[in-house]
Amino acid sequence: MKKFILYIIIGAVTFMMGYTINGLYSPDISPVQPIPFSHKIHAGINKIPCMYCHITAEKSRHAGVPNVKRCMGCHSIIRTDSPLIQNLTSYWEKKEPIPWVKVYNLPDHVYFPHKRHVKAGVPCQRCHGDVANMDRITRAVVPFGIPYLRVSPLKMGWCLDCHKNEAQKYIGTPVKNGTDCWTCHK
Amino acid sequence: MKRRDFLKILGVGSVGTGLGYFFGKASKPPAAELIPYLNPPVDVIPGVANWYPSLCTQCSAGCGIHVRVMEGRAKKIEGNPLHPINKGKLCARGQASLQALYNPDRIKRPLKRKGDRGKGGFEEISWEEGLSILSKNLVALSEKGEADKLYLLTSQIRGSLHNLLDSFMASCGSPNYLQYELFQNRNLLHASQVTMGVNAIPHYDIANTKYLLSFGADFSSTWISPVSYSYAYGQMRQFDDGIRGKLVQIEPRMSLTGANADEWVPAKPGTEGVLALAIAYAIIEDGYYQGSDAASWNALLSGYSPKDAAAVTEVAEGRIREIAKEFAQTRPSLAIGGENMARYENGMSGLVAVNILNHLAGNIGVRGGVIPNSGGSRTIDYKNNITALAAAASASKVKTLLVYNTNPVFTTPKAMKTEESLRNIPFIASFSSFMDETTAMADLILPAHTSLEDWGDDFADPSVGRPVATIMQPAVSPFFNTMGLGDIILSLAKGVGGKVKDKMKWNGFSDYLKDAWKENYSKDKDMLSSALTFDEFWNQLLTRGGWWPAEQVKVKTVAVTPKSIEAHISKISSRFEGDEKGFPLYFTTYPHSSYLDGRGANLPWLQEMPDPMTSVVWGSWIEVNPMTASSLGIKEGDTVTVESPFGKIAAHVYLYPGIRPDTVNEQGGLIVGWIS
Repeated sequence: MKKFILYIIIGAVTFMMGYTINGLYSPDISPVQPIPFSHKIHAGINKIPCMYCHITAEKSRHAGVPNVKRCMGCHSIIRTDSPLIQNLTSYWEKKEPIPWVKVYNLPDHVYFPHKRHVKAGVPCQRCHGDVANMDRITRAVVPFGIPYLRVSPLKMGWCLDCHKNEAQKYIGTPVKNGTDCWTCHK
Repeated sequence: MKRRDFLKILGVGSVGTGLGYFFGKASKPPAAELIPYLNPPVDVIPGVANWYPSLCTQCSAGCGIHVRVMEGRAKKIEGNPLHPINKGKLCARGQASLQALYNPDRIKRPLKRKGDRGKGGFEEISWEEGLSILSKNLVALSEKGEADKLYLLTSQIRGSLHNLLDSFMASCGSPNYLQYELFQNRNLLHASQVTMGVNAIPHYDIANTKYLLSFGADFSSTWISPVSYSYAYGQMRQFDDGIRGKLVQIEPRMSLTGANADEWVPAKPGTEGVLALAIAYAIIEDGYYQGSDAASWNALLSGYSPKDAAAVTEVAEGRIREIAKEFAQTRPSLAIGGENMARYENGMSGLVAVNILNHLAGNIGVRGGVIPNSGGSRTIDYKNNITALAAAASASKVKTLLVYNTNPVFTTPKAMKTEESLRNIPFIASFSSFMDETTAMADLILPAHTSLEDWGDDFADPSVGRPVATIMQPAVSPFFNTMGLGDIILSLAKGVGGKVKDKMKWNGFSDYLKDAWKENYSKDKDMLSSALTFDEFWNQLLTRGGWWPAEQVKVKTVAVTPKSIEAHISKISSRFEGDEKGFPLYFTTYPHSSYLDGRGANLPWLQEMPDPMTSVVWGSWIEVNPMTASSLGIKEGDTVTVESPFGKIAAHVYLYPGIRPDTVNEQGGLIVGWIS
């Protein structure tokens, strides 16, 4: 009997370990994109502001993945010799949009407007991490190697924590009605 | 530790880890793609809705709508708050017109008949082929000198599209452009012509009246402009000046409006006109009419004393006199006549009688009464109607018939044999968006856009005492391979060539529309005084949803006299088919609030919306008074057959206390079980 309880405890502990490993290191936190676009080159080295490409972040609930014409706005001139850019150009010439893979995917029952958060002054990096140093976008950033400090688990407690406490840093008060169910689930 | 235990722990551990990993994976939302625009339209921000003002075409009221469009998809329709007809409100039929756009049963591309007519066999063709078949047919007609055997049958279209069709038919050499719908309000228009001398349905100012006498006008669900009148009815009940307006509803079957009324008067079906004249008689006899011609009115109405009328209408004499007193003494009062009385053979006389009541009580042209609309030149061509078309078709005088948005095979009585007469027509082309009974008989189908995809405009009739023009603009790109009717006609004109082509040289209907509005703009001093250039005016038109002057426009009326009206009320008593013994019950129908004349029946939202009086969904039913039912031994839910000299229908019974015991009732617009 004692042994049976031990097996259950071991099973439960390893189950949680497996679950955590999936949350931290599964490939969907950093999916492979159709074009190996590097945020490090664009936002880091060349210091292009986020909202130069994600133009609807302050106008809409979607930050907006840049349209292909916007990419071509620069890349019809810049680095046209690179095979990666030629790959991009081929999408443009085929008149096909690029099928980017979504990294930050909230379930349908969550209403998250980028517009309100950007207008409140929350920096993009607060949720999206140090994008300027990422070649490929990775959702679960692990600062100092401590997994429990990772930046955006996209869980409800994480949202509420900011609505209640950290919001004071940006707007001076907790978010008005910030913990109401209907604020996010509508 | 034993080796066995170590292996067991290892096994449990690895199974646990694996389960945990896959549980974590399964509990995440599935991977999604982010598909950007290749080259975004200028006015689209992903995630932000655009609201386009447009026009509702689900009935002929002409309400203004706002269509909510997100990333090119229409998502919701609401009323246009600036629009003077519906003031930001919208009825269920208007809301459901979204489902007409996305309807899987839409005709998605041009079709050509394959096999026998009416068997439903069609093959898909291209637009070029479809247009060339039709234009060749038209050319052949005019070469044979049979251009006058070309007929065009449409629903009630007003505005620029109507003008385009008119000039197309004229340039083809055919006088046969006719409009037909089940509820066309021709009788109402006729009544206002003969009693007021105005060529437009007047504005019934329900909002400001204090006593509303309604002869079967179900204005809160279907009558002419239901959204406008429902809103007005709400205002009428608001205790303005300390008085709550009173509504008296006269009808054999209690409608939604009847259920809201203070008094429901179930007069015998078909005798509403007699009742109106009896009320008029009582107004004069009891001295409420002050005019100098009271004596001649008295002479005209001599046969309609309340005592005699009580026997005919089965409304007590005292009640008739009481209604007359209240109607004449409450200021302002208003009498309206609806489809319930207009559809009998004495419908015209009945509506004229209602207008006589308004004249005698002094309600014409006053606030809270009947306010005439400026109608312009609209006249009724009584010779050119659906009966004439059917007769011409039977006599093989129709070679080619073009049909748009109307379904006479379904909406005309079976006894009229419309289907059989249409079979004589050698070539039928339909522009319908949906397969209906008439379109199924077509040889060629060139599907038109729905109203959310097309350009257009509309001049509301009745409007609200001032002209109201509404613009229809495409809120979404065409969903299927269809074409706007205006564009089809212009392409046809190009295909026909010659004189027709010279007269219609616009590249597209949107150009035609803009030109038409340029002309309106250059003519109308109200539009000019707004001090805008045409382009500014046009932009304002598109952003506001239409054009309407702020002030009421005064229209002169001609007062009705006993002499002028005598001929029009001669047929005031109505006959019913079938002898009393063989057919003891009256059968009435009414336009249903969801389906109207049948056009709403293919929209699921309307089917699943409970009927406001009976809460029945998804189907049609026969309403029988419980007293009648018990004497006939019928229970609720029984399937019964209703028989007339013309045919039989079968449906389930709903026991409805709000109907006269001598009447059974069935709602229109749904396909019922025709037996013969």
